Amino acid sequence: MDISIIALALILFLAVFAIIQYNKLIRLNIQVDEGFSQIEVQLKRRADLIPNLVEAVRGYATQEREVFERVVQARAASTTASTLPAIAAADGALTNALRGLLAVAEAYPDLKSSTNFLQLQEELATTENKVSFARQFYNDTVRSLNTAVKTIPSSLFVGLAKVGEREFYEVDDSAVRNAPNVKF
Amino acid sequence: MADFRALESVNKRKTFFLLFFMAVLVWSISYLAISAFGGSGAGVIPLAVLITLVSVWGSYYASDKLVLRMTRAKVIRYEDNPNLFNVVSEVVIASGLPMPKVAIVNDPAPNAFATGRNPEHALIAFTTGLLGSMDRDELQGVTAHEMAHVANRDTLVSAVAATTAGVVALISDILMRMLWFGGGRSRSHQNQMPIFLAIIPLILAPIAATLLKAAISRRRESLADATAVSFTRNPAGLRSALEVLARDNTVVEARSSAVAHIYIESPLDASAASKLFATHPPIQERIETLRRMEANPLGSN
Repeated sequence: MDISIIALALILFLAVFAIIQYNKLIRLNIQVDEGFSQIEVQLKRRADLIPNLVEAVRGYATQEREVFERVVQARAASTTASTLPAIAAADGALTNALRGLLAVAEAYPDLKSSTNFLQLQEELATTENKVSFARQFYNDTVRSLNTAVKTIPSSLFVGLAKVGEREFYEVDDSAVRNAPNVKF
Repeated sequence: MADFRALESVNKRKTFFLLFFMAVLVWSISYLAISAFGGSGAGVIPLAVLITLVSVWGSYYASDKLVLRMTRAKVIRYEDNPNLFNVVSEVVIASGLPMPKVAIVNDPAPNAFATGRNPEHALIAFTTGLLGSMDRDELQGVTAHEMAHVANRDTLVSAVAATTAGVVALISDILMRMLWFGGGRSRSHQNQMPIFLAIIPLILAPIAATLLKAAISRRRESLADATAVSFTRNPAGLRSALEVLARDNTVVEARSSAVAHIYIESPLDASAASKLFATHPPIQERIETLRRMEANPLGSN
């Protein structure tokens, strides 16, 4: 009689414990997915912004063909990339190309003072910040998930939840990584 | 010790201990009420709890609307200030929180605050003076500090602190009146404890509660600075924003001690309150802590 009550309580306790651990893993995994879709949203925003920016600069700086081509190519590469490392690499390349474009713009005072360009510049500054914060948020969620996958007790439920370690979003450019605040 | 994760956990632990002392204080004053005043003393406790709960939790629940009215802040839309909205939505992405309402207070003194009962009802407000005196990085630092208050549920923490401090103050107050107006008349002979001995704790308890409440507020400010850095990974932005605030001498117009604790910088004169009663840590101390974080960045992960 007593033993059966104890056994029942123990089973109940273990069941609740298992549910909590299982849910924790699932929740972290969903957060990683959400974090990644946030990166994609911001990358899309940036890609949509670029044609306008290029047009604005081209009107003043016609001879800087090379810079425009780099931006257009990097943009094309970023919209076609599909795997996570490829997306991250294209993202880094585009950030660099844009930095080059804005450096060119510095040399044209008329361009720099046009309201259209100033507006685009602010849009680009905020989008770059959003991209970099989205990367950072994603990597934080990956870090929490990977820690849970590797540490006891949550690691015991990895098989049940069908959740595994996820990849970090690494932009291969030290300047990008150290500069979450882009000032143009 | 100079990285934001360590600072966050230290401040959270200290808040916990302060709230624990608060609970001990409430328990002690209740014990005193029962032991020194008998049945009528015991009756005071639920009365005090009820009055404080109604007054504090009403203002907690409607905090966003109430503070809007008290500070005369105006909620704005994207079109009203695109740059500010851009900065706020950047920090929103970094924090993973929902987008708060954004408001502007028409006031030349630079300051900002956050309120709202939960992240879904959050409101952050900036004075026109702040918007005029800060660059993008500094504004981002201030926004991150305010969003950190939202993330750390500081409206809730300060409501809990205000409730317990209120209960202590009310119980002490009622018991004092009972002493003065012949509360001891019927029981003065049966009481174990001489009634005059109760006066000292009755005077000290509300002071202790106020001190604890201020200490909790200071902890939450330090915590918000650390959490802000976890959002932006840029201690320099917030540090230079605080330096702008430290240099500034104008005082918020619609100032009132009732809303002092929610601002990023105390809107009251430093001389008006001693360090122990201050709702904010000294601004130089906060600047120094952020400087240490800059020297030892934990961006390596």
